Amino acid sequence: MLACVVTLAAAPAYAHHSFAAEFDITKPVRLVGKVTRIEWSNPHTYFYIDVADASGKVANWAIEGASPGALSRRSWEKDDLKIGQTVVVEGYRAKNGSNTANGRRVTLPDGRALYGGSPGDGGPGDNGTDQGDLPGTPIAK
Amino acid sequence: MPILQHLCQLLYDSSFGTMLRESNNAFSVIESIHVLSITLVFGTIAILDLRMLGLILRPIAVTRVARSVFPLTWTGFAISFITGFLLFWAESAKMYPNSAFRTKLILLALVGLNPLIFHTTVYRRVHKWEALHLAPWRARAAAIASITLWSGVIIAGRAIAYF
Amino acid sequence: MLHAWFIALAHSPLGQFMQTSRWGFAVVEMVHLLGLAVLGGSVLIVDLRLLGVVLKRESALTIGRDLGRLLMGSLGVMVLSGIALLSEEAGKCYYSPAFRLKMVFLAATVLFYFTVHRRALQVAELGPPTLFTRAAAIVSLLLWLGVGVAGRAIGLL
Repeated sequence: MLACVVTLAAAPAYAHHSFAAEFDITKPVRLVGKVTRIEWSNPHTYFYIDVADASGKVANWAIEGASPGALSRRSWEKDDLKIGQTVVVEGYRAKNGSNTANGRRVTLPDGRALYGGSPGDGGPGDNGTDQGDLPGTPIAK
Repeated sequence: MPILQHLCQLLYDSSFGTMLRESNNAFSVIESIHVLSITLVFGTIAILDLRMLGLILRPIAVTRVARSVFPLTWTGFAISFITGFLLFWAESAKMYPNSAFRTKLILLALVGLNPLIFHTTVYRRVHKWEALHLAPWRARAAAIASITLWSGVIIAGRAIAYF
Repeated sequence: MLHAWFIALAHSPLGQFMQTSRWGFAVVEMVHLLGLAVLGGSVLIVDLRLLGVVLKRESALTIGRDLGRLLMGSLGVMVLSGIALLSEEAGKCYYSPAFRLKMVFLAATVLFYFTVHRRALQVAELGPPTLFTRAAAIVSLLLWLGVGVAGRAIGLL
């Protein structure tokens, strides 16, 4: 289940905090793809999805999330995602233009949605709580 | 694969390393202790360095300041080293190519060399100058090197996240 | 009203710079860390003196004065860099229980430092450690530790 290290095409230089510093609010993305790899690691979690564009070409995207502990406190656990699952990721593309996005909202096949923002971080859906205000079924606590 | 990289990969793939890397709280706690331990390592030795530069505690002999500071610095270093090693174990494969991490290791080697030189040279004659407000130039050079190198270690450590 | 202040900070030129700059947050955070190291070191030596563990035969007031300058200087660096860090993520900090706790601890610590702690140094100047000087040292160490731990928690929660 756990991957060995793969160097990302363009390793993101993340500013480590605040939505606006790392991800580009003018570049929203909605990605539908199959989970290919999961790195449930500190300090940041990543999962990777194969996304096919209109012409059928498949690109692998890295979706960045908070630490395992932080996600666990919002009821995300490592086994909520499964390799081969098709998930919907809504987020924003990294400022450096690489195939990296933050997992602002991840919708699982069973319809549950996981919110990846922090209360007050100013990104879409921010309503000062850790469940956010984006439409959909929040994950049960 | 170079042998060092292979060793890093072994540590990374080990069950202990994996457990630490995927932990909900353990990694964060260890990392927090590592970060806060800089007060014990750098914060204390900086006081001795500033004394030798004649900036603080001038009425107090250098040897007295040193005697009070060294046990704390060494304790802090032990804590930093142990927590640092654990963090490295969890992230080793990612640390191997990380230029900030490599820089940090080089600076750590230099920051160890500095007191080695200091203690075998100018500090051997410390009783001649311990009461002076301004220490001899070699001691002051060691003090400036210490402050610079430790600051570099801390900065490189923080930069690991950005490379 | 407090919330409005946080929002104003986020929209200020400092806030805008910190939020858009690629390296701004990283550099300011490094300064914040160096300040932390020096602050912690001075607190440790002064409080160990109050406990009678280090520099027992030296003047508590001399130590308190010199290291107090170091402490205040590094605290100033930390407050200024802290405000810059805050301007980068003001909204998140406003809602963060860790940030709120840190500010409470910081206020209590600074208040304690200028009142009880100062008195303890005067007492320590006159003779061996007393229950009062030891208690003041331990409270001081715990309060400063609280500020540090709460600060770490901001990024982890």
